[in-house]
Amino acid sequence: MRHDYGYFEEDHLVSVGELSLWRRILGYVRPHATPVAGAVFLSLVITATGLVLPYLVSIAIDRYIVNQDLGIDLRIHGLGRVALFFFGFIVLEFFANLFQVVLLEWTGQHVMHRLRQDLFRHLLDLDLPFFHRNPVGKLVTRVTNDIQNMHEMFTSVIVTLFNDLVRVVGILAILFWMNWRMALILCLLVPVIAANTIWFGRLARNVFREIRTSLARLNSYLQESLSGLEIIQLYLREKDAAERFTALNRGYFSQTIRQITLFGIFMPLLEVLATVAVALVIWYGGGEIVRNRMSIGVLVAFLSYMRLFFQPLRELSQKYSIVQSAMASAERIFQLMDSRPGLKSAASPLRPETVSGAVRFQNVTFGYEPGRPVLEDFSLAIAAGETVAVVGPTGAGKSTLINLLERFYDPEQGEIFFDDTESRRLDLFWLRSRIGLVMQDVFILPDTVRENILLGREISGTSLDEVLEQAQFAGVVRGLPQGLDTRIGEGGTALSAGQRQLLALARVLVRDPRILILDEATSSVDTETEMLLETALERVMAGRTSIIIAHRLSTIRRADRILVLQKGKIVEQGDHLELMRKNGLYRRLQDLQHTEYHGVAPEGTG
Amino acid sequence: MAVGQISAGDTFREALGRLRFFARRYRGRLAAGFMALFAVDILQLAIPRVIKSAVDAIHNRSATPDDLFRFGVIIVLIAVGIGLFRLGWRYLLLGFSRLVERDLREELFKHALTLDKSVLQQRSVGEVMALSSNDLAAVQLACGMGLVAFADAVVISIAAIGFMIYINPLLTVAAVAPLPVLVLLTRLLSSRLHRHFQKVQEQFSRISEFARSSLSSVRLVKAYTQEGMQVSLFHRLGQGYIRENLRLALVQGILFPVAGLVANISLLSILYFGGRFTLAGEISMGDFVAFMSYLAMLTWPMMAFGWVANLFQRGATSMARIGELLRERPALCDNVSEAPAETGRVDRVALSALSFTYPGREIPALADISLQLSSGVCGVVGRTGSGKTTLCHLLARYYPVKNGEIFLNGVDVNQLSLAAVRGGISYVPQDVVLFSDTVAANIAMGKPDATAEEIEAAARTAVIHDEIVAMEQGYQTRIGERGVKLSGGQRQRIALARALILDRPVFILDDALSAVDMETEHAIIRSIAAYLRGKICLIVSHRLASLAEADTILVLDQGRIVARGGHDQLIRENVFYQTIYRHQTTVAAGGV
Repeated sequence: MRHDYGYFEEDHLVSVGELSLWRRILGYVRPHATPVAGAVFLSLVITATGLVLPYLVSIAIDRYIVNQDLGIDLRIHGLGRVALFFFGFIVLEFFANLFQVVLLEWTGQHVMHRLRQDLFRHLLDLDLPFFHRNPVGKLVTRVTNDIQNMHEMFTSVIVTLFNDLVRVVGILAILFWMNWRMALILCLLVPVIAANTIWFGRLARNVFREIRTSLARLNSYLQESLSGLEIIQLYLREKDAAERFTALNRGYFSQTIRQITLFGIFMPLLEVLATVAVALVIWYGGGEIVRNRMSIGVLVAFLSYMRLFFQPLRELSQKYSIVQSAMASAERIFQLMDSRPGLKSAASPLRPETVSGAVRFQNVTFGYEPGRPVLEDFSLAIAAGETVAVVGPTGAGKSTLINLLERFYDPEQGEIFFDDTESRRLDLFWLRSRIGLVMQDVFILPDTVRENILLGREISGTSLDEVLEQAQFAGVVRGLPQGLDTRIGEGGTALSAGQRQLLALARVLVRDPRILILDEATSSVDTETEMLLETALERVMAGRTSIIIAHRLSTIRRADRILVLQKGKIVEQGDHLELMRKNGLYRRLQDLQHTEYHGVAPEGTG
Repeated sequence: MAVGQISAGDTFREALGRLRFFARRYRGRLAAGFMALFAVDILQLAIPRVIKSAVDAIHNRSATPDDLFRFGVIIVLIAVGIGLFRLGWRYLLLGFSRLVERDLREELFKHALTLDKSVLQQRSVGEVMALSSNDLAAVQLACGMGLVAFADAVVISIAAIGFMIYINPLLTVAAVAPLPVLVLLTRLLSSRLHRHFQKVQEQFSRISEFARSSLSSVRLVKAYTQEGMQVSLFHRLGQGYIRENLRLALVQGILFPVAGLVANISLLSILYFGGRFTLAGEISMGDFVAFMSYLAMLTWPMMAFGWVANLFQRGATSMARIGELLRERPALCDNVSEAPAETGRVDRVALSALSFTYPGREIPALADISLQLSSGVCGVVGRTGSGKTTLCHLLARYYPVKNGEIFLNGVDVNQLSLAAVRGGISYVPQDVVLFSDTVAANIAMGKPDATAEEIEAAARTAVIHDEIVAMEQGYQTRIGERGVKLSGGQRQRIALARALILDRPVFILDDALSAVDMETEHAIIRSIAAYLRGKICLIVSHRLASLAEADTILVLDQGRIVARGGHDQLIRENVFYQTIYRHQTTVAAGGV
């Protein structure tokens, strides 16, 4: 059970001072230089008012409250004036704070939005070999969580870090100016506190990581058992499941207790250190006052400043770890941005006016892994308008044909021609919009049925109705609550597998490609839907070059030619009758189906 | 949500009831924890008193260096005491909340294991997951930090105000007057904060989900040249995310600065009025400084009151939701008053006028099904929604049936224990659920002590052995998120092997080979024939080819058996059967 469910990588540590990374991050910030400068200015205002307030209190005490030299009225008047200033500053601080929070969020969100858009766009432009190497879960983490990490750093650290720095330096300066000897004594505490918080930060990070992984483990087991509840009950494994869950739950529990203990030791320790500072001020400062080297107001101000002084130190380790994980995320994001698609585009891609739909493979060799070719010296010519079915056992290379035709991959050797133009010389988008691909899975946009059929194309209402009729999809649409305007996909109405297939056929009709590729669905569509699909297919295939990858031999009867593929080679071709007579692989595949019926009903088949 | 039907009072009463149970279970820990908490509070309140004496002594110039040193030492000693007691209450009280969380989660899971489909079909897996994560977290927060903050705030504020009144009642009123605003404000804004936070989370998961679905069907996106469209949809989602975040930031931007503002206004009134009182000699300089320290202590409890009220509210609502599931009783359970009957090895299954309607539906899913099954294969065909799967589910005891409808060896299933009935059935359902574990462990799920040979034999019969061996770690390969990704057909065959390893007298295959290709399916049908011998088998399929071995075939339509008999008979008599037969055979024969 040593598995980190759902976590693809743990923070590997990047140096926080990685300059090249910072330069790229700043590149994204630069367009928002003005709001950032504004936020920095506001943070200076906030720091300044924070520092001024205790100072005003000390003035009020020394000049007016304890000053026996002034008359009582003057002292009250003076106190009132200080109070007015005080009020002015707190109002200023309030507004500065409010604006700063909103401004930072606004900027941060826009920077991250652009980064996310760029990354997403970049990912979609990468080629299939890339997606073959990188699991989708990892890529999604880049686009979501990694960006979120950077945003965290942006809003809660960069500006506040600057803020804290200004504040700490400011307070130190004031303390030294008020009484340098006492300030010096306090400085002795700084390294102790800093060491303490950094040490704590490291321990806390480990504990949090453990908590996260054990919770993820717990949740994934829970999810699994709930979705497989019937199986657990049927196989009488309830006790076993409960024991496993209890073990995981206790594991998580003991991690949370570790966290409580850790925080229980370190948080009070910091408090103790801060109180030691107070004790030092009283002991040493008190002595100074008694020796008449310091005023009582200064002592009170010292006490207030110290509270302000220790706060940023306490949060330092937390902030440091935010920066660290953000830098790790930034590195992963930019690494991804730097990956280049391997498919070379032509310098001046061709976009021929007309295309007949003829396709030719010429001596093509291709494999997904070096040294393990799937197709070897493969040649095949398909005439415009011809319907070709490809059959063969799993792994024969049927799907590879699609990958090469759609130019998801380029052949290692040999060429593929569309109407005598080599595929690599053609514009990629042009090529793909001339091919209609219908696969087992159909991607659904979270949008209306209409948008899902049109996919951004314009088409008149009547021709859309025609398309729906031809694709046998009209009946499905009529059954939907809002017809064409019904929302489907995430959060909308769910379509069945068969209905999604019909939708895919409607898409093809709207796009009207010259070449149609059917990667025949193997999912269980019930017989009636299958019949609908076949009627629709007939319409869709009419007048197009069609290549049917048949996993199930069911669409074969329409084919002008059947190719039998085995281990990347065409071992037989011809129409059904020819192939049956040949007594080869095709015959064997067919007989499998036949004998089954003979077993039940010897007289059944014709 | 169902919570709407329960009044707020009931919610709180129920939550309190459950909490009281845990309070009793861990009463020693709670008592010690609260004592430590109060000790911290008392010590904390003592520090300003010490500072006051010190400042007064310094101000009067009466303090000797020894006195000052003593003050310093006392302050540090108190601080160390505070630290120790704080560790104590954190460990005891926060630990309590984690114990509550742990115990509740365990109870929840064990309870869920006893529930049957008629209860659970009303809740999605996600809903139960949310109970275990979000709702339990809310409960934990309420009885951990919530309880602590509440007790702490009460003690501190009473004590601090007490001390302040002792120094000067009038000044206390002036200083404390703005603070109730803080309570109201945090109460108001923190619930809003929570709401906006949830919206941000929702939008975030929408973005993740969109990216996931778009990237996982990248082949189709490219084939349909939809890159631009996807990017612009993603942009729209991203803008929604910005909007939600800004709304959240606005609330945050108001809440925290306003809290600071209110606290500062209190400070201001101490400065002005306290200053005047000091001037007038009504309070000492030390009192003035101590007053400010007490005020600093009050700010946090005032914010805490508002925050805690929301925590409690959320915790109680969550507890009520959890309670709802815990109150659910399975519709199917063993009759405890009577000893269950015994059947021995099942060799006859009889259905007598079996009818079934799903809870909340009106049209029966099955009506008047009468059937005798003994050893041999019975095939079931029919349209989607004709009741094939319901029939399997009832046999596997997923749902309760009335008395006198299903009999095993002549004994009514309602008189048998659930375990006895289920222990006699291997059922391979349509939707495959495999567990994140090794292939071997998945196959041996129902028989954990199976030998490697048995596992391999089952895998061979399910025609998956060769593919397992070809995997990097063979039978020890892990399945699941971090393990190897299996095709639908492979998953179905592993699920089949999982059933085949059990030697149970009843075997049900519910369209369980739909994703397996034709040749492999044929090989499976041949290889399981020996296993099926002497067993009662029910095989549901869309493909008549899978029913080659069937002795009888049932045709279901709208929950009724509309025809039954051998293949030849059905070909002659049943239109539906003819249609699919003709369709599938002409396809197979290539349109000849």
